[in-house]
Amino acid sequence: MGRENTVEEALNLLRSRLCNPSFVFKPLSDSPDSNYSKLKFIISSSVTEACNNSILLLGPRGSGKIAVLELVLKDLLLEFPDLISVIKLSGLLHSDDNCAFKEISRQLCAEHQLLFSKMASFDDNSQFMIAMLRECGLAHKTIIFVLDEFDLFAQGKQRVLYSLLDAMQSVTSQAVVIGVSCRLDADQLLEKRVRSRFSHRKLLFLPPSKEDLQRLLEHILSLPLDSTISHDYAVEFNAKLQNILADEKFKQIIITYMDSDATVNHLLRFLFRAVSYMDLGSGFLSLENFKTALSNIQRQPKLECIKDCSILELHILVCMKRLEVKGQSSYNFNSVMKEYKSIRASFQMSEYYAWNVCLRAFEHLLQRELICFTDNRGQNQSVEFRPAKLLISSHELQQGLKSYRSCPAILLKLMDREV
Amino acid sequence: MAETPKKHLLKSPRSSKHQAKSTPKPSSPSPSPLAPVTPQTQTLTPRRSSRLNSPFFDPPVSIEEPKETPRSGKKTSRTSDPNTPRDSAEKLPKLKRKDKEDSVKADVSSFSPASPEQLESKRKRKRQEESKVVTRAKSAVSVPKRRVYYKKVVYDGGEFDVGDDVYVKRREDASSDDEVQEIEECRVCFKAGKSVMIECDDCLGGFHLKCLKPPLKVVPEGDWVCGFCEARKSGKEVEFPVPPEGKKLARTMRERLLSSDLWAARIESIWKEVDGIYWCRVRWYMIPEETAAGRQSHNLRRELYRTNDFADIEMESVLRHCYVMIPKEYAKANYGDDVFLCEYEYDIHWHSFKRLAEIDNGEEDGEEDDDSDEDWKLGKDSNSDTDEDIEYDDENLKSLPTKQSSAHELAANSRKGQFFGLQKIGTKKIPEHVRCHKQTELERAKATLLLASLPKSPPCRNKEMEEINAFIKGAICDDQCLGRCLYIHGVPGTGKTMSVLAVMRNLRSEVDAGSIRPYCFVEINGLKLASPENIYRVIYEALSGHRVSWKKALHLLNERFSDGEKVGKQDDRPCILLIDELDLLVTRNQSVLYNILDWPTRPNSKLIVIGIANTMDLPEKLLPRIASRMGMQRLCFGPYNYQQLQEIISSRLKGIDAFEKQAIEFASRKVAAISGDARRALEICRRAAEIKDYHIKRLKSAPKSVCSGKSLVGMADVEAAIQEMFQAPHIQVMKSFSKLSKIFLTAMVHELYKTGMGETTFEKLALTVSCLCTSNGEAFPGYDTLLKVGCKLGECRILVCEPGSKHRLQKLQLNFPSDDVSFALKDSKEVPWLAKYL
Repeated sequence: MGRENTVEEALNLLRSRLCNPSFVFKPLSDSPDSNYSKLKFIISSSVTEACNNSILLLGPRGSGKIAVLELVLKDLLLEFPDLISVIKLSGLLHSDDNCAFKEISRQLCAEHQLLFSKMASFDDNSQFMIAMLRECGLAHKTIIFVLDEFDLFAQGKQRVLYSLLDAMQSVTSQAVVIGVSCRLDADQLLEKRVRSRFSHRKLLFLPPSKEDLQRLLEHILSLPLDSTISHDYAVEFNAKLQNILADEKFKQIIITYMDSDATVNHLLRFLFRAVSYMDLGSGFLSLENFKTALSNIQRQPKLECIKDCSILELHILVCMKRLEVKGQSSYNFNSVMKEYKSIRASFQMSEYYAWNVCLRAFEHLLQRELICFTDNRGQNQSVEFRPAKLLISSHELQQGLKSYRSCPAILLKLMDREV
Repeated sequence: MAETPKKHLLKSPRSSKHQAKSTPKPSSPSPSPLAPVTPQTQTLTPRRSSRLNSPFFDPPVSIEEPKETPRSGKKTSRTSDPNTPRDSAEKLPKLKRKDKEDSVKADVSSFSPASPEQLESKRKRKRQEESKVVTRAKSAVSVPKRRVYYKKVVYDGGEFDVGDDVYVKRREDASSDDEVQEIEECRVCFKAGKSVMIECDDCLGGFHLKCLKPPLKVVPEGDWVCGFCEARKSGKEVEFPVPPEGKKLARTMRERLLSSDLWAARIESIWKEVDGIYWCRVRWYMIPEETAAGRQSHNLRRELYRTNDFADIEMESVLRHCYVMIPKEYAKANYGDDVFLCEYEYDIHWHSFKRLAEIDNGEEDGEEDDDSDEDWKLGKDSNSDTDEDIEYDDENLKSLPTKQSSAHELAANSRKGQFFGLQKIGTKKIPEHVRCHKQTELERAKATLLLASLPKSPPCRNKEMEEINAFIKGAICDDQCLGRCLYIHGVPGTGKTMSVLAVMRNLRSEVDAGSIRPYCFVEINGLKLASPENIYRVIYEALSGHRVSWKKALHLLNERFSDGEKVGKQDDRPCILLIDELDLLVTRNQSVLYNILDWPTRPNSKLIVIGIANTMDLPEKLLPRIASRMGMQRLCFGPYNYQQLQEIISSRLKGIDAFEKQAIEFASRKVAAISGDARRALEICRRAAEIKDYHIKRLKSAPKSVCSGKSLVGMADVEAAIQEMFQAPHIQVMKSFSKLSKIFLTAMVHELYKTGMGETTFEKLALTVSCLCTSNGEAFPGYDTLLKVGCKLGECRILVCEPGSKHRLQKLQLNFPSDDVSFALKDSKEVPWLAKYL
């Protein structure tokens, strides 16, 4: 009983770690070349030296931009209590100028216990922001603007960015604008007058190197020896884990997995799955867990879709493919049905499906996104007349047919040969 | 002023003067020649006798006491002896001030039918009268039964200006026995003498150089702490020299102020009450001990805080001048003992600190003084405010407390003339790092390179500035004041706005000096307007102070500029309108621009429009009728060349030894070659300094602290900064991509070479990838994984692609030159075979 509880507890610990980005990114942050220390230096020097800065954090999704930023902000808030106020905006929500200014005012008001009015106009809010920047600057307070999905702020007239960056050109203000974006060309999107005011510090977030990866795995998966989890169990667990980590097969699994996407977040998703497969009975991670996780996580959704299709649907797909091979670039349900009928006639297939049953099958394929309409025009046309296209390539279709549990031989033949 | 006879002051009451003044006043509106001149004769009339008509004050302590008792219990503390603990003693006098204030108002109302509030609102008008009065005779009673405001009075031998800092008596009775001393005595020999004295930076005691042990020959540079303080710090018991028998230890005003037996205040306005008594409104200064945070470790001995606490006091209680200065001036100050330092404002309601806004302006001035244009400095130093401005501030500040007292809070961001609650913002304690931190050369360099620290006059733009100056002057100084229009264009960061503003500042100082006539100046930024039409509203608000809808504003402005209807008194002034980012005002029918540019052409409009934009051919893109109005006079700000950039940077870095000369040249050449944007050049240098600073600090924190010798920013740092700023990061990202992404990109390039077409579809690409994989012994990952990889690349904008739902039909294109991809992937260790296909 006690044993089971311990295992349960360990599992919970591991899972909560995997879902907590600030834990994951902690070990990567201590080296002086890490983005963490660079970012911290820039922000803290703008707090202590009362200057304005603007920084871009760039990197593919899942590389830990926000996580590192949060870590830095958390540390700085401890270091300089009530000298920093953080305003967070997201491009997905606040790319509209009016809305962005309102949100900035709202957060500023909330931060300083002021009363906020929803009715305030664009002008009021932008002037309020500038006045607040000044007042906070005079009171040695730094306002940090975090603009998530920065590229979306760079649409339209870019009033928000211009106002922010222009206000930062006065001595009294003390602010840091941090743009976070996965677009590498985010700074090229800025209008030239905005770009000229932007101070162009860029931090690039890259996937971890091999050594970092190894350290990270160890950091995340090994149990702490000084917690409520029983010591002996933790020691044994860690010893087994070391074995696994050193195993060549394990390394191969990780490499295969990371081949498609090398970011940290991608790895975490895999580890979470693997940890969840942990055998509660034995209470230890094993290589098998990782293998199952890998096979489970690498799926081919389109192929699986084909596996779930009915014979009729497969017929339709094959007919469409044959039409394409014949060089007919545009076809609709009616032309597909014509092809289907000719095949049936030439091969004297016994089964017969009514026209409306075929239409249902066709619609089903549309919903499955195995086929689609070529354009969005003619919405009011009925389904059978709108030109459609096959979404899967012939290779995929062939592969799908081969792996189909009871695929009629005739279909395979039709696929292969030009009959 | 230093000669103020203090002994007279305390022993003989000054009220005689009031009598002398007040007697002629009620009857004669003519200027009384005697009025503000110091009474040389000292009659022995009891002090305050002139105020017998106000029963509140008569014998200073005895009668006030019964007056207080019916009020709240708090005030009982007033009656306590002067030795009460400081905080209660601190409250006590303030209450008294309030009483006085009340009584003054009561007095006023008894004399004139106007209520005090009305009086306040009328002030503005009166103020102007007053300024006239002052210029005429320095003293006059224009109309009886009204307050008369002065800019400057000579009172009791001292000349007091509005804006001066003074000592104020704390208690009527207190310290009259205390000997006030003009000249500080040496702590050792207790003689004043003429020989040089040195001040201890800790206890502020004065020492003769010769009295020290060992004696000093010259005043040492930097901080100096006396032997007593050093000894005390090291924990020893110290015995101060005892003054010779019979000689009282006298305290200077400064000492009494710092031990809170006196107050310091700044005179905000001076007036003569109807009964002839001189009053002034003062803004109190506070010593650090009196604040809620107490004395903080970084407080200097002579530091004061300005408060937002105002009071009306009689001029009588003003003792004499002291000098409260901002740090920059303080460092240079040489006024003797009565100099104090003030950097922060203290909010007495919220107990919070805030930097003084003027300091920053002051700092700006200081930095740019090397460029030397004297007239501008003069204008700034004379407290930079016209009468109206002071008046405005005054009312502003007054309105704050009243608003606060009104129970309902107003929303902070809906602006009815001003933002509510901004006074709440402030630090409870001044952070230590701000004060105690000694800047290194690099940090100073970083600070001066900030975009925010604007130089007063942009270097290398003299020709353009002259042209602007000539344009504006030509427009204003005409008797007719014909409306004109100037279009300024140039790429960003070439100092367009800064030059215009510098010209305007120069002009303003000329206005102050009286050489040209006053004008109003309205500055608008096109990008900060919610919509182009809003510009009417903003202009109208700036001109008249009223907020109306834009349609109404347009109507009113049309009336003003086209029909020549003048409403207010200021309307006949020429108006200079500066519109930054003019291109943002272009609407579909371009009516906004047309209206604005049409007004100057009207007779009597007296409107001068200066438009600033980036594009050279903006007038040509507009309707001909607008182009003909705007395109007449143009001024081009070309991009800076490298010498100019170099000059800009080095003028900022003058006196700071942080940069290698080649490094500056490298940065400026690089920027000049790319854009000629001064902001960019400054940012590069700042970033380079930052990089250097980062490395140095890292080295220091590392256990082995070697190589701290050279800390100059060199070529390598500038190179790194330029790399970061100008180089797109894609190559680095491509190098670190996953294996499949690399293969994907290689296939893209391969496909491009094969077909010669930039665009390809996912189906073709997948085919290529599978070919590449099979021929090189890699496992083909499957279509779906490949699609995901492609979409990831699209997200980073390495590729431009359609949404992934199009699957096989998805169109893909490289977003960067294929050479970049080849360069990045050529020597990848993971997949060496890629090089074959690149």
